[in-house]
Amino acid sequence: MRIDRTHRSWEVATLVLAVVSTVAYIAYAVRSPAGPRGGSALGLTFGIAGYAMMLYAGLLGARKKVPTWRIGRAQTWMRGHIWLGSLSLLLILFHGGFAFRGPLTAVLMILFFIVILSGWTGALIQHFVPSLMTTRVPMETIYEEIPHVRAQLCQEADKLVATVCGPIGSEEAAAEEFGGAVTTLVEIEQEDRARFRDIYLRKLRPYLSDPDSEHAELADLNRTSEVFDSLRRLLAAPVHPVLDDLENICEEEQQLSRQIRVYRWLHSWLLVHVPLSIALLVLGGLHAIMALRY
Amino acid sequence: MSDVHLTIDGTAVTVPAGTTIFDAARMNGIAIPTLCHQQNETPVGVCRVCVVDAGGRVLSAACVRPAEEKMVVSTNSEKVVRARRTLVELLMADHPSPCARQRQSNDCELETLARLEGITQARFPRRLSPRGQDNSSLVIAVDHEACILCDRCIRGCDEIRHNDVLGRRGKGFMAGIAFDYNLPMGNSSCVSCGECMVSCPTGALTNKSIVKTVLPGEPVDVDDLQQLAYFQKVSGTFLELNKNAVVRRHFKKGEIICREGEYGSTAFYILEGQAQVFLSTPLAHVQSKGGAAGFFSRLSSRLVGRQQERRQDEGSRATIPIDASVDLPYDNPIATLGPGDLFGEMTCMNLYPRSATVRAATDCVMLEMLRNVLDIIQRNKTLKAQLEANYRKRALDDHLRSVPMFASLTQDFIDVLRSKVELVRYTKGDVICRQGDIADAFYLVRLGFVRVSEPHPGGELVLAYLGRGSYFGEIGLLNGEGRRTATCTALDHVELVRIHAEEFHQMTEQFPDVRRSLEELAYERQTQNRQRLATATSTPLDQFLTQGLMEAQSLLVLDLERCTRCDACVRACADAHDGITRLVREGQRFDKYLVATSCRHCRDPLCMIGCPVGSIRRRNSLEVIIENWCIGCGLCAKNCPYGNINLHPFNVLEDDPANPGRQVAVVKQKATSCDLCTDHAEPSCVYACPHDAAHRVEPNEFFRWIGAPLETEARTHSR
Repeated sequence: MRIDRTHRSWEVATLVLAVVSTVAYIAYAVRSPAGPRGGSALGLTFGIAGYAMMLYAGLLGARKKVPTWRIGRAQTWMRGHIWLGSLSLLLILFHGGFAFRGPLTAVLMILFFIVILSGWTGALIQHFVPSLMTTRVPMETIYEEIPHVRAQLCQEADKLVATVCGPIGSEEAAAEEFGGAVTTLVEIEQEDRARFRDIYLRKLRPYLSDPDSEHAELADLNRTSEVFDSLRRLLAAPVHPVLDDLENICEEEQQLSRQIRVYRWLHSWLLVHVPLSIALLVLGGLHAIMALRY
Repeated sequence: MSDVHLTIDGTAVTVPAGTTIFDAARMNGIAIPTLCHQQNETPVGVCRVCVVDAGGRVLSAACVRPAEEKMVVSTNSEKVVRARRTLVELLMADHPSPCARQRQSNDCELETLARLEGITQARFPRRLSPRGQDNSSLVIAVDHEACILCDRCIRGCDEIRHNDVLGRRGKGFMAGIAFDYNLPMGNSSCVSCGECMVSCPTGALTNKSIVKTVLPGEPVDVDDLQQLAYFQKVSGTFLELNKNAVVRRHFKKGEIICREGEYGSTAFYILEGQAQVFLSTPLAHVQSKGGAAGFFSRLSSRLVGRQQERRQDEGSRATIPIDASVDLPYDNPIATLGPGDLFGEMTCMNLYPRSATVRAATDCVMLEMLRNVLDIIQRNKTLKAQLEANYRKRALDDHLRSVPMFASLTQDFIDVLRSKVELVRYTKGDVICRQGDIADAFYLVRLGFVRVSEPHPGGELVLAYLGRGSYFGEIGLLNGEGRRTATCTALDHVELVRIHAEEFHQMTEQFPDVRRSLEELAYERQTQNRQRLATATSTPLDQFLTQGLMEAQSLLVLDLERCTRCDACVRACADAHDGITRLVREGQRFDKYLVATSCRHCRDPLCMIGCPVGSIRRRNSLEVIIENWCIGCGLCAKNCPYGNINLHPFNVLEDDPANPGRQVAVVKQKATSCDLCTDHAEPSCVYACPHDAAHRVEPNEFFRWIGAPLETEARTHSR
């Protein structure tokens, strides 16, 4: 979510709560001869309030699973998730008096830091990366549709090349398919035709059929125009419009690759944030039960 | 009558006085080539190909020059041959060779003559400005390029058939043949008798060989067809040329003749037996809302009828319009058709999906015909009058009664109207009335679709699309000025019931209820039109036009700088509608915004054009509503240029034709579009967006956004 002026009220509310909690904590810490403890009245209050906020933040995932439930707009939940989730760290620190004590609490605090850090990383990514996607991937498509679009682009390229060289595949297969005669729309020398076919099959098609291949030099944006310029020099002028179209297809492929990369940046942090958050909530609950019972 | 003695090519001949040289030669076995002359038409001597040397200062046209006593005629002297050759060369210079007729049957008279004269290459340059083709007729192709202005078609139309449709247009170099007042042939009053085509010596008027497919059924002889009242007056030549386009079909009792929603291209004429017309799709609409649990309830979709839940602005029609001479009663949508009834006209003429299922109630014999044949029938004056008489006799009552505001008309008055109303036809693009014209009639739509529009800077502003059962023209008749306030245009083959101003005023005086209802409706329509005009006037039209968003009322806009592509909006929409999303996160980009694929509730709802049962319409609030009698044919989904209408499948029980008395589960579809989740304060897609990226906005507001910082705007336009 983009953190902008629309978050002002949440920022102010969080700040006020943080200041009030801090004042309360300082007053309490100064007055406690044995130092602040989680089991004291105020310590428990901080713990309960902090865990409640963690729970609320964690419920965002559940909220997203029931998008049509009218239990508050998803963006309100998201704002609460960010700001109350952040505030909960402070409250939990006040709850523990900035000490980790036992192994469970130490694990809890490490988890908590990682969750908060990954969360803010995610918030920053979501603040900046959508703009990047918008500007750098003008031909963006639906993520799940990318394999299908790629297959279409590959077919389109084959058809384009077929206008020069006849059907793509082995010469024998092409001849068989077309009853021995290969008809093309672009008139060039037989030698040029064979050269173009060879170049397409060696360089372009491997990239189009497997754009993520590391060996594909066309995956490099800077190299693409160089490759096509050299092809233009190598091949006869009637083929150039076909080369232009092929270059556009390669550029579209590059955009799709870029979209996949940016999409992964946008969402991969969740692979850390979500499981650790669940673990944190479970262990936090365990800690609460153990602390209250024993 | 005295005889005339003359010599032709050295042969002494005697003919009755008044005989032309052409006829005198022909009667004595001497052939004179000609192009413009036919024995059954008055000679006009325009082509001059029949020139002969009759001893005068100049050569004479044999077809018009009467034989004279002691005249010496030469038809093949060097001078004559040279003149004829030059004439043919001049005609060939402008003739596209081979022309359509030469290609079809190798008998273009001009090209044959040129071949006989040994003309292989034209000495004269071709004209540079093309004269064009006219393909508007379903049965005759007009190629003005191949026309030699011989006027044989004109004389055929006027003298032989007395239809007076064809004539000349332009002068000199610009001259050509014309239909009515130079209308496209298909839009003219041509009755498709085929005489012009038969008369034409070249490929200027040729039969459109559109009958490539062979209809399943028994071929019908032209003689058999002409025994039937409907075909008696149709040109035999035409029927012969189109004999594959009409077949006789036999249906056993219970057999399905056509199903609703299917695409077809034929109409049926019942010869014997009876057929039942009905709708097999449930009369219901898709309702998406939460159950009794309320707060935690999940939205779900189901089919509900008018009795279970009547929506705001839902129609209260008592009948469902279908593509036949009768409408179906809403409560029990079944009707019976018998001998002499025609059904499937809309499908045949406009290629719309079938509007209802037709089953043979008894063993039936029918004629199934393609649209070239139906077009011939409908253009024939006698048959047109018969169809009109049938309509007045059998369907006018139902049609008038299907309009709620005419329900109070007495039978006596309908009987008066019966003899006065006129059934008028228009073809695609015809202007029925123009804004500012004198209002002289009120119209009920019987078939097809009419567009109501007003001129507006940047183009026509569409006010409404009117389908079967709708009516127009009342505003001009009721307001004091007596002028049309909008332009009405036929969008396809349209048939209208025209009630003349006199009868209309008589009706409004005699039935104050009707007048009141019409006045209320006129007021409502005018108010809506004013609002629309005001909106369009305050709109940055160029931007709207370039983005194709001019007609939208509500856009689902995604701010791509906020959107994390999580698809929560799509999932929410699918979740709200039985797993079938009504939005796709793709569409036109405008700056950093994406106008997602979701119903825009267009002001010019193209989705409504062609609905075979008229079940998609606009609410008074301008939202699109799909009425309960949607048959799920999917035409609206096809017509929507933005892909914003979906088909929602449901399992319903239907009679099993294989096992009478038993039912079988079949999948039926209902068209759905974004309903803005009207049961809730906010659409699900917007409500479920965690990133504040999805917004439903009016286009005007959207365009005001552009350039304004989103942070402030987003707060204002979160709905």
